[in-house]
Amino acid sequence: MRSSLTARKTARTALLTIGYVLMACFVLFPIVWILMMSFKQFGDIIAYPPRFLFSPTLDNYEQILFGSEAEQAAGQMPNFLGNLINSIIISGGAVIVSTLIGVPAAFALARGALLGAVHVRFTVLSFRFGPELAIILPLFLIYKQIGLYDSYVGMILVHQLITLPLVILITTGFFREVPVEIEEAAVLDGAGIWSTLIRVLVPTVMPGIASAMIIAFIFSWNNLVFGLVLAGGETRPVTMGILQAMTFDQIRWGQMAAAAMVAAVPGMIAAVWFQSRIIRGLTLGAVK
Amino acid sequence: MSGHDVEAYRRGWRARLTYWGMLVPALVILFSSLYPFLQGILTSLTNRKLYLQTEDFIGLGNFETLIHTPLFWTALGNTLIYAVLVVVIQIPLGLGFALLLDVPSRVRSFFRTTVVLPLLVPPVVAGLMWKTMMQPQSGVLNWLLQAVGLPPFSWLTDPSTALISVVLIDAWVFTPFAVIIFMAGLQSVPPEIEEAGRVDGANAWQIFRLIRLPWLVPYIVLVALFRVADSLKQLEIIYATTRGGPLNATRTLHIMAYEEAYRWSNLGRAMAIVFVLWLICYLISGLLLALWQKQEKARYAV
Repeated sequence: MRSSLTARKTARTALLTIGYVLMACFVLFPIVWILMMSFKQFGDIIAYPPRFLFSPTLDNYEQILFGSEAEQAAGQMPNFLGNLINSIIISGGAVIVSTLIGVPAAFALARGALLGAVHVRFTVLSFRFGPELAIILPLFLIYKQIGLYDSYVGMILVHQLITLPLVILITTGFFREVPVEIEEAAVLDGAGIWSTLIRVLVPTVMPGIASAMIIAFIFSWNNLVFGLVLAGGETRPVTMGILQAMTFDQIRWGQMAAAAMVAAVPGMIAAVWFQSRIIRGLTLGAVK
Repeated sequence: MSGHDVEAYRRGWRARLTYWGMLVPALVILFSSLYPFLQGILTSLTNRKLYLQTEDFIGLGNFETLIHTPLFWTALGNTLIYAVLVVVIQIPLGLGFALLLDVPSRVRSFFRTTVVLPLLVPPVVAGLMWKTMMQPQSGVLNWLLQAVGLPPFSWLTDPSTALISVVLIDAWVFTPFAVIIFMAGLQSVPPEIEEAGRVDGANAWQIFRLIRLPWLVPYIVLVALFRVADSLKQLEIIYATTRGGPLNATRTLHIMAYEEAYRWSNLGRAMAIVFVLWLICYLISGLLLALWQKQEKARYAV
């Protein structure tokens, strides 16, 4: 009896270990491999069989971030640092606008007892489900006409399609979890709806709002297709810069890898530092 | 004072006005996207070129042309196959990972952190990363295959393997979404039901099949809803890896529409393709949404 129990326990541990190893390989190997590649010299990158041991270098990062202006001017290298700054402006701006507009909207949806609030929620959700080109191809013509093509304002506006639904859906989920009694106390003290929201509820759900902002920022940062259609040379985001690094006459693997790592930084920081909040936010945004 | 005031605060007409006021700016921004959308429907009825101002109304001409274009049917097939493969791979895989992460162990919190990582990496970056690893001659994946005694694979370079390779990259990026939702689902299983099952002598497999799996059904439908809708319109991974090639093996409707507009400058026809795709997305996600709401209702009715 006892030995069969230990045997089962061992089998269980073995099975779990195999599962974890498979999962780790699948999830982590690509990131680790490209991270290694980003520190390799050209010779180490093209070596076959692949090299797992090599003398690391920061050259790729230096070249992608501060590479020669002559090459950028000749169109042989993307202005990656410029792309990074563009992405920070566009995604940062988009998240700030979405938070200012989306948090009151979420509060109204969670607390307003409004007729049709359910429909509003599904409408907000449904903006996720259509192909982006249905909106942004015609928007390309409109932007060209009214001068918003390749402008920060235009990019921040169109990124609302990503960030606003995320902020609204996730924050609504967090507001719903706050007991109504908290506001009732404030109302009895004579506070209006706006001041209840700002003084009582926003501080209470601040961590929730923060995770909504982080998630919205990442998905805005990660987007390619809006930049592809609506950004020209002035506002090109980081996801386009990295694509350019790949399509120049010769593929510079090391620089591409370094660019990939830099482009993935916001997501990775979020995953490591705000892990549980991100997971909760994503779950609330989808489930509630 | 008191009870009456609180009621007025929540339901009175002034309160209601304030709440709607809070909602309006968001609705204005979201609904303003209907304008380009409707404009696009009109464009799909014209022969508009991307860089020419002129356009003639040609009715359903673009749609008629599409019906007689074999490539359109290829792209439609690829789009549907892509979405089916995504669901067939990512739901079982996500469920497996979620079950694994549900077992208490010392490494669990580390893996809960790392498992979301691919979801937060830009899809275009993921595409480029995998494309690098999938190089047939120099890529690390073929080296790994050979190291364990398997023949090399042609990955993205061969029409017969390109689509499944792109789907594999999609699985890497988006399976974590399924894992997150399924983890939430598993945590919401009432412990007393599982406990009752254990007392009745059910083994781990029976508990999974008879208790956890039925409980997870709405979550599975939800994951299917998001993953189907997203993969019907997947563009960025394909754009970063194959751009529809080789020999149209990965040309989906969304990629075809993009190329039609930006490569061939046929904006009218591109919009026609986009609206066929939009209709498919609308119908399928509507169906799944209805299914999900039915599941939810059934659960809360019990």
